[in-house]
Amino acid sequence: MRNLKRGAAAALAAAMGAGLLVGCGGASSGTTSAAAGGSKTSAAAGSSTTKAASGSSTGDANMVFAWWGNQTRNERTSNAITKYQEQNPGVKIEGQFSEWNDYWQKLATNSAGNALPDIIQMDYQYLNQYMNTGLLYDLTEFTKDGTIDTSKWNQNMINAGTMDGKLVAVCAGINAPALVYDKAITDKAGVTIKDNMSIDEFIEASKKIYETTGYKTNIQYGTAQEIFSYWSRADGAILFNTGKVDATAENLAKYFKIYEDGEKDGWMLSPTVFAEITIGSVEQDPLVYGDNPENQSWCTFCWSNQYVAVLKAAKEGQDMQMTTWPSADPKKSDFLKPSQFFSVSSSAKDPKAAAAFINWLTNSEDANNILLGERGIPMNSDIADKVSAQLSENDQKTYTFVNTVVAKNCSDINPPYPDGYTEAGKALNTILEAVCYGQETAEQAGQDLVSQGTAALAAKASAK
Amino acid sequence: MGNQQPVKTAASAPARKRKIGNPINNEKTAGYIFTLPFTFGFLMFMVVPMAISLYYAFCQYNILQPPVFIGWDNFAKMGSDAIYQKSIGVTFYFALVSTPLRLIFALFVAMLLLENNKLSGFYRATYYLPSIIGGSVAVSVLWKRMWATDGTINRILGINFPWLGDTRTAIWVLIILAVWQFGSSMLIFLSALKQIPQSLYEAAMVDGANGWKRFWKITFPLLTPTIFFNLVMQLINGFLAFTQCYIITQGKPMYSTEFYTVYMYDQSFTYYNTGYGAAMAWVMVLIISAVTAVLFATKKFWVYDGGL
Repeated sequence: MRNLKRGAAAALAAAMGAGLLVGCGGASSGTTSAAAGGSKTSAAAGSSTTKAASGSSTGDANMVFAWWGNQTRNERTSNAITKYQEQNPGVKIEGQFSEWNDYWQKLATNSAGNALPDIIQMDYQYLNQYMNTGLLYDLTEFTKDGTIDTSKWNQNMINAGTMDGKLVAVCAGINAPALVYDKAITDKAGVTIKDNMSIDEFIEASKKIYETTGYKTNIQYGTAQEIFSYWSRADGAILFNTGKVDATAENLAKYFKIYEDGEKDGWMLSPTVFAEITIGSVEQDPLVYGDNPENQSWCTFCWSNQYVAVLKAAKEGQDMQMTTWPSADPKKSDFLKPSQFFSVSSSAKDPKAAAAFINWLTNSEDANNILLGERGIPMNSDIADKVSAQLSENDQKTYTFVNTVVAKNCSDINPPYPDGYTEAGKALNTILEAVCYGQETAEQAGQDLVSQGTAALAAKASAK
Repeated sequence: MGNQQPVKTAASAPARKRKIGNPINNEKTAGYIFTLPFTFGFLMFMVVPMAISLYYAFCQYNILQPPVFIGWDNFAKMGSDAIYQKSIGVTFYFALVSTPLRLIFALFVAMLLLENNKLSGFYRATYYLPSIIGGSVAVSVLWKRMWATDGTINRILGINFPWLGDTRTAIWVLIILAVWQFGSSMLIFLSALKQIPQSLYEAAMVDGANGWKRFWKITFPLLTPTIFFNLVMQLINGFLAFTQCYIITQGKPMYSTEFYTVYMYDQSFTYYNTGYGAAMAWVMVLIISAVTAVLFATKKFWVYDGGL
């Protein structure tokens, strides 16, 4: 009896995920990705030619396209899908979208059930893991037969999506770390925010803003592995490397100290604010979500492609601007990043049709006139120019920011994140939480992160 | 004689068919066929997955790659996992605090609703409602907003307290939500209360017992079997609570609300330590079995099992 109950709990947990999935499904017709068992890699590859042939001649295909994102992305991508279906009668694409965290849990359970969506929005952080386990389809055959046209693509971004000579991920857009801030607040405080600030200048600005306006500061609470990684680059270290934490305990303690001092001095947002919101959601970011200076931040550490979404979520009277994340050495810290990729899963029923859709998303004006660079600057240079020309003034800021501010003052991106990155990141945020709640000193935190982070990364590295 | 004739025919007809070997008309076969949907579902969705999870509990398994047998390592890991131990503490606290509170509240409301009047049906349905919707995602989201710093609760109280952000109060937000879902226990109490013969109360009143005495000398002893049943069922539910924590607090702050099931889910599906998650699930089976066994062992001391 108890066993049944326990089994029921596990089933409930799975059902929860499924429930969220259904709840978030786009303008879906009620079909689910789990409908067909999905064939194994070899089977799919073996039959791909025949399937693809029939697919292109009749134009019939049924596909599932899954992505994570925000309201803006969901709307634009759904519209793009509708457009593609109009142009290609017979092709049916079901969009499934969710928030970042749910997305990866869903994807993992889907892969266990051999029912991955045909087209997956992939992230740099997970690329390694999915590639190594053979879950991604090698698209090289489609670049050779002309289904995918790579002639105008940015070579660095092609490289980022190529592993072991296989093109497994197509860059969906280029972005860069961006500090989005409310200029209405900084003006009121009499603070000028300039590009390539140092950490000290940033802290000074934060203090002054707090003293004059009461608005506080949020430095990626809950997702701080990104900023810690960024700062570590200035020290010449890869924060989470394969099997170990590269950064030293002393340097990490220095960064934890910023939070420790910030909480003591009051200019750092209280950790209690984050217990009430979904961390990582643009719409619930303290920059736009709070209702008074106590629970509002004057800035958010995000990515340049999220600027559009932040603008959309902004309240009346907010004047959102963009600059680089502060660092001791901006040139060493900053980098351009494939914001995300489109991948085809190895269990896709019709890889060629999926490849054709990805080609349309990346290379066609029709698609990009709808998407308007929300996922980042298109890596197709022609498309990027055409899209940028018709953007609103605000959207063009993203282009200018990435192309002129960051591109001219940055270094190569870190190698794809190692296995165990998620767990090490969670360890970092757990330690940071303890620091912000005053339960742990910055010095202790630095040592804890080295030991706990290394433990998490080493466990996964040795499992290989 | 005329009576026995049809009986004989009825008995001999299946007997004849059995002889010519048609098992379809065998009563046992029919029984098996009727239970087939359940048996199939039980085997496919309970027994087989549980057997597989037992195997995973002894494996290094990350969903994406085939499992590798590693013996007892997953269980050994629990000894050094601080968050795991914290989640056990939180789960016990939640189950052991919320269950008695819920039962007391359910019994209290049941006694209020015992009175029969025109609206009692309406009231019973209304008070049962939270049990149906209380476990849902929508109510959890609503609850999260209500207890936010700028939420309804603070507005009513006229204060600005971060209920969800404080390590001492966050768990209570979840406990209160659990207590609010008292409906199913209430209904069971209600029907049990109605079983108690009025004559006992009348006799007690004649003897001059007041309401308090009547409750402790008549109502409570006769309710103990029901209380026992509710206690066991609700305690198990408490240990297995998931949705509230997953939606409202996600273990925040400082893992002060990290439920066992949520940590298990995170290990399994966020960090892809699915073997470890499976091992945790089986430890929970043992914990619940032990707690239930202890409850049954105490039964003879306080549960009235006399016939009525």
